[in-house]
Amino acid sequence: MTITRRTVLLGATASAALLPLAARAQTKEVVIGVIYPLSGASAQIGVDAQRAFETAADIINNKYDFDLPLARDEGLPGLGGAKIRLVFADHQADPQKGRAEAERLITQEKVCAIVGTYQSAVAVTVSQICERYQIPFLSADNSSPSLHRRGLKFYFRAAPHDEMFSKAMFDFFDVLKKKGQKIETLSLFHEDTIFGTDSANAQLALAKERGYKVVADIKYRANSPSLTAEVQQLKAANADVLMPSSYTTDGILLVKTMAELGYKPKAIVAQDAGFSEKALYDAVGDKLEGVISRGSFSLDLAKKRPMVGAINEMYKKRSGKDFNDYSSRQFMGLIVMADAINRAKSTDGEKIRQALVATNMPGDHTIMPWKDVKFDAQGQNDDADPVLLQYVNKTFVTIFPPQAAVAEAIWPMK
Amino acid sequence: MHDVTHAKQRRRDLILAAVFVALAACVPLFVKDVYVQNIMVLTLMYAGLSQSWNILGGYCGQISLGHALYFGLGAYVTAILLTKFDVLPWFGMIAGGLISALIALALGYPTFRLGGHYFAIATIVIAEIAYLLFLNWDWAGAALGIDIMVREDSWAKFQFTRSKLPYFYFALFFAAVAWLVTWWLENSKWGYWWRAVKDNPDAAESLGVVVFKSKMGAGAISAFLTAIGGAFYAMFVSYIDPDAVMSFQFSLLISLPAVLGGIGTLWGPVLGAAVLIPVTELTRSFIGGSGRGVDLIVYGSLIVIVSLTRPDGLLGLFSRKRKKEAVR
Amino acid sequence: MTAETIIQSLASGLLMGLLYGLIAVGLSLIFGLMNIVNFAHGEFLMLAMYGAFFLFAFFAIDPLLSMPLVAAGMFVFGAAIYLLIVRFAMRAKTNVGMVQIFATFGLAIVLRGLAQYFFTPDYRSISHSWLGGKTISIGGIFLPVPQLVGAGLAIVAFGALYFFIKRTDFGRALEATREDAGAVALVGIDQNRVFALGWGLGSALVGLAGAIMATFFYIYPDVGASFALIAYVVVALGGFGSVFGAFAGGILVGLVEASTALIMPPSLKAVGIYAVYLLVVFIRPRGLFGSI
Repeated sequence: MTITRRTVLLGATASAALLPLAARAQTKEVVIGVIYPLSGASAQIGVDAQRAFETAADIINNKYDFDLPLARDEGLPGLGGAKIRLVFADHQADPQKGRAEAERLITQEKVCAIVGTYQSAVAVTVSQICERYQIPFLSADNSSPSLHRRGLKFYFRAAPHDEMFSKAMFDFFDVLKKKGQKIETLSLFHEDTIFGTDSANAQLALAKERGYKVVADIKYRANSPSLTAEVQQLKAANADVLMPSSYTTDGILLVKTMAELGYKPKAIVAQDAGFSEKALYDAVGDKLEGVISRGSFSLDLAKKRPMVGAINEMYKKRSGKDFNDYSSRQFMGLIVMADAINRAKSTDGEKIRQALVATNMPGDHTIMPWKDVKFDAQGQNDDADPVLLQYVNKTFVTIFPPQAAVAEAIWPMK
Repeated sequence: MHDVTHAKQRRRDLILAAVFVALAACVPLFVKDVYVQNIMVLTLMYAGLSQSWNILGGYCGQISLGHALYFGLGAYVTAILLTKFDVLPWFGMIAGGLISALIALALGYPTFRLGGHYFAIATIVIAEIAYLLFLNWDWAGAALGIDIMVREDSWAKFQFTRSKLPYFYFALFFAAVAWLVTWWLENSKWGYWWRAVKDNPDAAESLGVVVFKSKMGAGAISAFLTAIGGAFYAMFVSYIDPDAVMSFQFSLLISLPAVLGGIGTLWGPVLGAAVLIPVTELTRSFIGGSGRGVDLIVYGSLIVIVSLTRPDGLLGLFSRKRKKEAVR
Repeated sequence: MTAETIIQSLASGLLMGLLYGLIAVGLSLIFGLMNIVNFAHGEFLMLAMYGAFFLFAFFAIDPLLSMPLVAAGMFVFGAAIYLLIVRFAMRAKTNVGMVQIFATFGLAIVLRGLAQYFFTPDYRSISHSWLGGKTISIGGIFLPVPQLVGAGLAIVAFGALYFFIKRTDFGRALEATREDAGAVALVGIDQNRVFALGWGLGSALVGLAGAIMATFFYIYPDVGASFALIAYVVVALGGFGSVFGAFAGGILVGLVEASTALIMPPSLKAVGIYAVYLLVVFIRPRGLFGSI
């Protein structure tokens, strides 16, 4: 296998060296694998992700006047204008299938890099396979902190993970406290998946460290038929802040059940997921005035960086939705990967890995509120500053950190 | 006269199986594509699993829809022993099998008294309880699962970075053993009792106690083999979590090949797996990328069509002629 | 744990339990009639919820009004499924049990795929309905109106069903077919017609449940899965084939679920339901009120 790939590569570089003009004329392709749940319970995420990746590929492959890497060129100039081609694969949220698809993409479709996967459990196996085949894997939207701590050389994540997100929340509480708000007790409400467990573990540790009292730590079964018992316990605890880590389905049911049981929390600070999905606000938005969610993206940025608004329109045309926390990270995932391939001037896994390690993308060349994109030794971007957004008058406004904020937080919520 | 043809038939089955194993063992010499090899490994694994399920579900008529319990136990025992206590997976595999067999014995005592659907739902519910407990058991990784890092090729640790061949040959061995156990059971004292009970419910009365004991035995053997399959899966995928190895969906997947191929038959599970697994994998890989559920429609329709047109399983396609002649 | 928490839990559990009963009763009816467990029952519920949703989204018909429409639609759908699929599954000479399990299981997968194809995997919900979001508070105990109406509907539906089976000609035909299908054929009752009507009726009942649930639950192609298992347990707990058993089983499951959550981590609350099921069938192998 390696032999054939090397020969192909050798051949490619040789012909490129001998006939630079001819090589440029013939449109080469750079194939990137994209692994998402395209059927099953979380298919909606996968379908939205497809649109986000297609938007990114469009910007890379065609000329656009954006301050974004590769936007102003057609294709990848480092590879003679080669165009990006995406191959989508469906992992149905099953780690075994994710693994098999990664192997298929690498060996059959000859992808030179893989981006994925939404579910962290699938990212575990996909990244393992990529490591074995020496193909770079970029977690576009997995937020489990354990992922980058496994000593993998080919694992990268440009976006923040749950500990960074949770830290931003506690920083925010500390600031409010200094301003005289009473924030002493917290209620955690999290699902029994990797996402929920990781998020709650980070929040429990931070609460202990910074002296907040966790009065209820409720772990619930994802997609439960009823959350009544859970909400009763939240109501009885009546903490100063309710911190849910839930996906769309349970998020909708949580909010509805809270209203039905007459529980109005003083404030909700959500770990994203369902609380950044349009479907949730369509369903129960009227009960969520003033809810705060962490995020790695904010449309407010469009005021400072007009290209964010323009790219959002491109995405909206394809999907009918605004960028949210997931789709924006997916979009950036492909941009970061393509930028590295372009600088590597090669589709060889090791060369792309080196280019990724050397990545230094200033924050204002992204659509995110990040400081920059740089990877540490574990492949994590520590400069991806998360933001806190508040849902006010049917839109999200950035309220934290101060350098990104466009409004003061309304506290407690309505 | 009957006994002679029967013995002949059994010898023919054995030879056929030997030929199949020999042929299968040669396939990787020609098929080098890892993706196809992956499908072959899964096919063999499901053939073995479904064969194990068939011992209890087919021959004894105890429809278990909770075999994910044994599969998951095999996977978890192996993974935990390996990652926490540095016990080689070969020992973990045996330990997982024995633990599963013991649990099957303990569960068999109360559940085998239940009739049809009550039994099936009891098995679902028991497996679900185990699933929920593992999902909440922090020491066993809870939802985070157990990640088995593969650094180098090693037969002792049964880990291979790229090569699928060792997994392929183990899966072939597993499927062959499960087949052989079934072949042997078919002709044992137990096998005769089971057939007797099926053909003549009155016989159940007189055989009551011994049949109950033989069912307990069948349950233990079935659980042991299923757990070996689970242990193999853990090493093959090198990551397990409760959703992937203990969910209800998995219980169905284990029984499906036997049902499609021909329940309670020697060759049904093999045939069922050989059809079902490639179809599942190929539909997902080549039409699943649309995000519109077309793969589900194709896969589901196939199950409906086969179960309606070939109620005795795909195996019926081969024996149909013979039966027609017999009727005439 | 205060008395108020306990009462509130039990009250919510009772309401949920009645709804579980309503979801499950169709399953029980079909089983009692022809010994078939419909493994696509959760998907029937999903279709009913989508029905109520689309009637609301396109024609602004409140789920409370569209309920009869949804039930009628599901009646036709259920009867059609019987005539097109289940009828053939029952002709199997061998492994009848497994054939029908997997025929309906395959159907479940197809229905999910079709829902994803035609309705997209988006999460839907009815944001403003007459019942949705309303709640009644009595002495600090909150009773959500949708569940309250659902519970009332369940009681009425069970009562009507009981009357229907015991007092009408068709009901008697159902009973007779279930007792002895062969003899019934001799008397001149068309077995296929009775079965088709039984499937229609069972599906119409889950249609009622779906329409009510659409007012307070989210809707997406996989929504049936979490209710299906509960419905099987409810039916088996009450005793297969017993309509009253499904009613009692539903209430018991609702109460057990609520009280388990009081003493165990909520993520394990289903364990309580499962444990009670095992306890009951180990003592009474045919469920609480089962006869077959």
